[in-house]
Amino acid sequence: MNTLSRSSEPAGLERAVSSPPDSYYGRPIVKPHVWTPYIPWYFWIGGTTGAACVHGFVARLRGEDEVADVQRWVAFAGIVTSPVLLILDLGVRRRFLNMLRVFKPTSPMSVGSWVLTALGGAVTGSLIADEILGVPPLARACDAVAALLGPVLTTYTAVLVSNTATPVWHEAHAELPLVFASSGIAGAGACAAAFAPAAQRRSARRMMIGGAIAMGVTAREMETRLGRLGEPYSQGKAGAFKRASSALALTGVAVALLGRKSTAANRVAAALVAAAGICERFAVLDAGKQSAEDPKYVVHQQRETLAEGGRTPLR
Amino acid sequence: MELFESTAASAEVATYGEDAEARKGFFTDTTLCIGCKACEVACKEWNQLPADGYRFTAQSYDNTGELNGTTWRHVAFVEQPEKSRWLMESDVCKHCTHAACLDVCPTGALVRTEYGTVIVQEDICNGCGYCVPACPFGVIDKRETDGHVGKCTLCYDRLRDGETPACAKACPTESIQYGDLDELRRRADARLEKVRADERFTDASLYLRGPDDGIGGAGAFFLLLDKPETYGLPPDPVDTTRDLPVMWRRAAYAMGAIVGAIALCSLGPRG
Repeated sequence: MNTLSRSSEPAGLERAVSSPPDSYYGRPIVKPHVWTPYIPWYFWIGGTTGAACVHGFVARLRGEDEVADVQRWVAFAGIVTSPVLLILDLGVRRRFLNMLRVFKPTSPMSVGSWVLTALGGAVTGSLIADEILGVPPLARACDAVAALLGPVLTTYTAVLVSNTATPVWHEAHAELPLVFASSGIAGAGACAAAFAPAAQRRSARRMMIGGAIAMGVTAREMETRLGRLGEPYSQGKAGAFKRASSALALTGVAVALLGRKSTAANRVAAALVAAAGICERFAVLDAGKQSAEDPKYVVHQQRETLAEGGRTPLR
Repeated sequence: MELFESTAASAEVATYGEDAEARKGFFTDTTLCIGCKACEVACKEWNQLPADGYRFTAQSYDNTGELNGTTWRHVAFVEQPEKSRWLMESDVCKHCTHAACLDVCPTGALVRTEYGTVIVQEDICNGCGYCVPACPFGVIDKRETDGHVGKCTLCYDRLRDGETPACAKACPTESIQYGDLDELRRRADARLEKVRADERFTDASLYLRGPDDGIGGAGAFFLLLDKPETYGLPPDPVDTTRDLPVMWRRAAYAMGAIVGAIALCSLGPRG
């Protein structure tokens, strides 16, 4: 079976014929997302890329050119792999260019496609201007564009998943961008902490450690506020990814704090923090799937809004 | 909210100018449904949709299960022995006034037609799958066979020839009624009054008649005898895009936080 198969098909005869009162035979009301594991990988890579552009820009301003160069290569790797992952996820891959057929402000995916394209151009332009043409002012202009677009690339994916009917995503629209932002900062920090020279590692280490902690805190805040809707984060595959993410982040922070001067320790910590961020994205995607597959979340949330007078747009 | 209003059915139909038509829709009166599934069959036949294979769900007479990329009508069967009745309902795409699938589609493959309905242009869709979790009714779905998404078109091709959609044409009891939405709403109001006059059906209601719900009302609406969730329908569906400005505002805070946090991490002497 491929990735489109669903677990919504109830087991055969042992299932009672009678339908429970608050659902239709326990069948999903909304469809779970159909994205493949390429997407959580892209969410992490895109998030890291965006934050790396900002860090590279700031480092260049401060004269830390080695860090800035590392982050530019990180960003370049990001903008090269991202479209590949996105195209692999498509149902009709040869039509990937249709993503740039229109610009639709009502579709975060459309906005994101254009931002990724523009950011890709800026990062590539900066590399060419510095390494091939030798025109530093042009490279700096490209860096500035990349630094402006970077934060959008890091956070638009949170808007993208929030802008669905999946309860655990839609109702988390307030916190999800902060979770993704923290994870992006941690990811970019980890990349630079692993590859930048020891003399210029401080800002990267702070990002790695601070980002990892912020990711845990903001995600916990999100789950608390979701209440019952947040249950999927402690159950099934989402719960497993969640626990792995927390354990990896904590270990990573501990290793980073203990091995402050050691390049090897920094690299181990970077790998752990990066893995924590990837697990967090997988947890978000799987929680969305679990949240959509059980109709009780849709009914619970919507009955609650109706009881409160409901249907008022968010402010 | 301006952007959101510009995506309402009426605003989008208006862009057709002289070619704009009166908004068309379905009124599905579940009190008349006998569960014959003629609508399911007629839909599959006309739209040349593949069969779903043989399977036994053990859920009353419903072996179809759900609407998906290749099943655009689905008859639900709810046995209520305690009330000595069976509920049957032929479900379909709602052709929402505010359609989330259309709003989030990044390629423009999903469009509003001159009849106010929502269709997928199958030669444009690249199968990104965004519309699938966006739909508040779980209607649209990705097809394993060809990779793009599919859903009810309200028989767009038949409409253009002045024909009735296949399901409504095949329905033997007029449980599925097709026509101008304004006329259908009038008919539904009269029918509801009549049904409610019977003391057994005082809970009957019109579902998605609009325009005061989270999708601004639907092109395909229903007369139900029980709560929507009993039929597998959401009690308070919302077009998620209504909340998009708030979401971007929250994302903007996060973007600011990224710049601020990275600047803060870079403070102090070089090193």
